[in-house]
Amino acid sequence: MFFGIIVLLWGLDKSLASEQGFAEVKECLTGGFAKLVVWGLLSALLYHLVAGIRHVLMDMGLAGETMEAGKLGSKAVLVIAAVLILLAGVWIW
Amino acid sequence: MVTYVTNFSRSGLYDWMAQRVSAVVLAVYTIFLLGYVIANPGMDYAQWNSLFSQGWMRVFSLLTLVALGAHAWVGMWTITTDYLTQMALGKWAGAVRFLVQSLCGVLMFVLFVWGIQILWGI
Repeated sequence: MFFGIIVLLWGLDKSLASEQGFAEVKECLTGGFAKLVVWGLLSALLYHLVAGIRHVLMDMGLAGETMEAGKLGSKAVLVIAAVLILLAGVWIW
Repeated sequence: MVTYVTNFSRSGLYDWMAQRVSAVVLAVYTIFLLGYVIANPGMDYAQWNSLFSQGWMRVFSLLTLVALGAHAWVGMWTITTDYLTQMALGKWAGAVRFLVQSLCGVLMFVLFVWGIQILWGI
């Protein structure tokens, strides 16, 4: 994710710098490899986000504090993240 | 109690809080920006540029950059102190850990300054 930020900042820099830069970034994002990179970045980000929300819910004591709730919560994170990652893939392609 | 000298705030509790407050900022910004891009397919340069030209968007973006710096630092600090230990690396663990933490710190600072240049360069 640390290195993903570099890619995202590069895109932001170029797309905001000029109309031509914006067109270049847009053009670049039509390529198969670029799409794969963006999907990879979004996947890491979405999984981190979903797991992070669970973490905060657990901190607030809202996610249950039994072994059962813990197992259910971790499975829910995987399922929700997988669905979002699939949706992100659909959006990109 | 956590007393490592490279600890972000010299207090584990404060780090814990900073991690969560910054997480909320990052989550809100991510969801907003993703939502904006998804809601505006075929966006042109003028619209994209005007979004980032607005004062509130610059403040929001800068806040996110600050949150990113704090969040990444606490995260990388936690990872390095968990895994780059004497047990894993032997007697040079301290030096290796400090080096990795320094690199993370420098990289994060460079990204932060770069972000400011992007936001105020347009």
